[in-house]
Amino acid sequence: MDDFLRDFISKKWRIGSFTFTFLDVLLAVCISGTGVFLRLSVIDYTETGAEKIAGIVLEYLLAILCGAIVYHYTGRRNRAFCTYAILVIYPTIVANGALWNVNCVYYVILFFAGFYLCVRGFRVLGVLSTLAGTAIALYRMWQWYQPLSVDYPASLSRGWPNFYEIIGAEAFVNLFDKVFVLFLIGLLLTGAYGFAKKKIRITQDMALQLFLFLALLIPYFAPYMPAWAGYTADIAALLYCMRRKERFYLPILQLIVSYSAYAYIINGETKLPMVTFSVILIGVMVNVGVDLYREVSAQLSERKPDHE
Amino acid sequence: MGKLMKKSGWPGFDKTDVLYLAAMTVIGMAIRLILRVVTTDDWGMYWDPWISDLKEMGFSYLATDRYDYTPTFVYILWVISKLPINPMTAYKGLHIVLDFVAAIVMGKIVWRVTGSSVKSITAYGLMLLVPTIWANSALWAQCDIIFMTFLLLCFYYFFQDRPNLAMFFYGMAFVFKLQSLFIFPFLVILWVNKKVQLKHFLWIPALYFLSIIPAWIAGRPLMDLINIYMAQGAQDVWSLSIKWANIYQIIGNQYFLLEYAEAGTWLILGILMILMFAMAQKRYKITNEFIVQMALFYAILTPYILPHMHERYGCVADILAIIYAMMNVKKFYIPLAQLLVSFNCYMAYLSHRGASEPPIYYGVWAFLELGLLILVGLDIWNYMRNPENQITEKQIKDAAASGEGSTEHSAAVRKEGA
Repeated sequence: MDDFLRDFISKKWRIGSFTFTFLDVLLAVCISGTGVFLRLSVIDYTETGAEKIAGIVLEYLLAILCGAIVYHYTGRRNRAFCTYAILVIYPTIVANGALWNVNCVYYVILFFAGFYLCVRGFRVLGVLSTLAGTAIALYRMWQWYQPLSVDYPASLSRGWPNFYEIIGAEAFVNLFDKVFVLFLIGLLLTGAYGFAKKKIRITQDMALQLFLFLALLIPYFAPYMPAWAGYTADIAALLYCMRRKERFYLPILQLIVSYSAYAYIINGETKLPMVTFSVILIGVMVNVGVDLYREVSAQLSERKPDHE
Repeated sequence: MGKLMKKSGWPGFDKTDVLYLAAMTVIGMAIRLILRVVTTDDWGMYWDPWISDLKEMGFSYLATDRYDYTPTFVYILWVISKLPINPMTAYKGLHIVLDFVAAIVMGKIVWRVTGSSVKSITAYGLMLLVPTIWANSALWAQCDIIFMTFLLLCFYYFFQDRPNLAMFFYGMAFVFKLQSLFIFPFLVILWVNKKVQLKHFLWIPALYFLSIIPAWIAGRPLMDLINIYMAQGAQDVWSLSIKWANIYQIIGNQYFLLEYAEAGTWLILGILMILMFAMAQKRYKITNEFIVQMALFYAILTPYILPHMHERYGCVADILAIIYAMMNVKKFYIPLAQLLVSFNCYMAYLSHRGASEPPIYYGVWAFLELGLLILVGLDIWNYMRNPENQITEKQIKDAAASGEGSTEHSAAVRKEGA
């Protein structure tokens, strides 16, 4: 009997080209169920309506999509499956939708769909999806600020521990909100210029690094970033870790920062000063930036020395 | 067009370059236009009353002791007082223009030392984005960009192996700001290594003397004008560190105010002497990177120990750190950290924190600055220890015998420049 059960749980089943074991199914069912119960335990904190329910469904779809991305990158079924399993119970995703009813998933799923389409070669569709996601994100942020009904915000920070936590978020708000948008555009342009001039071919790995780096960089300098501004980077950091397991600490750090930002807004306090998280984010950003630079350098060194 | 640009010492530009340059120029200008409206305490307490007095009294204002900046700066204010436009607009406008000039010089320096048009053009763009640059001129209405532009020109001509012109621009920097002396020890090392001659140093007193003549003629006593930097140093002595992240932010900046002020000055003099002694023991190949390393090291070290350092006194290190990273991309973290420290100190003043600490304690920033000092110091140490970078007695004698005289190092510099 024991042997029968042992064989049974590891026996491979096949449906078309898709193979799976009983253990796979067991985990899929159990983790999906755990995700549901996890959400149910906090769902009463905010009103539950159609938007939240649809958001939760989208969170599951996002987990599947990210699993597909990891499979595309690694070709490893177990990692893809783990990605799905982790994302189903990912604390910031659960807190964002079920607990807080912010439902960032509506636009974040479009970012990841856009990314997936791009790396699969459907660039136009990918860009369109990303643009749609950006439009929804901007609308969401605008919607979030409406109830505040103030003439002008008093702080450049809305909960995300970014650059303004370091330099002071209350100074020159009405000027720095424009200046740092220009500064950010300048940085992005400089990056784009470097890539264009060096004729860098965006490889699969580089695309993932770039995606994560931008997901970290943009909310770091953009003004008025809400506490959930790290949502995209939270997930992208996990995907990056699945691709490069030696970077296991990136999603851990990112998740700690992100959840602390949630806690700061929801609870009104954190155990560590917010500026600590801003410094951690610099470390994360530099780490990913250096990885990206190494990838670019490796590509350049493969070419002739007179590439310029 | 591209060839013409290259002939005149510029990289050739293609469409992408032009687009990027145009976009960064627009962004750089837009940032400054947004910030130009800010009226800071320095404007209200110093420049504005000085310009008002200049309007009222004309050039005879220069005879008074109401200003504690060098007369050259006051001549500029005098010109501004004559203009039929808002003085703050004129003042900030001038410094904003200089931001762009400095960015162009930065681009040329990077082109000169790396030979990479992409890096050179990027350096121009990044220089316009550097927060401590735009905050200094457009927001704060400070004038550090004047002497920094001259310092950049000084470095540019050193890299072109034209020490006379380089020292002329160093002299011009000194005419405007005492902070130019932060990096003076590196000039001594260059002199030891025959990159500069003693006569080139004469530019410093000569230009300073020339610059004070109009004020002397106007009626201010000569000794007053000669000692203007001494008088400047005697002000703002209420704290050992005036919001700059240095050693006093670690050991305490409110104790032994008088004693430590004097002791700190002697201490840094002693440290500089020891360092110069150690660096003058041997002769080294003076490469462009070594020049920047040394200058950056002293630009960090001197304000780290000197008492009464203001928030802005990391500005020389800011620009040198950028050049250093452009020459060696692996050192990207040096400008990143330096600018973070520097801009944080700016904001501590600009956001009217008073005596209260910034979100990250000054002590933490001071340790970060110390870390940078050690890292750059180690780079210099490693360079000096490498036998390939040392020039032996025999090489010196051979060079002297072959009549190359003082320029044995120049071959190395030219080689690198090429």
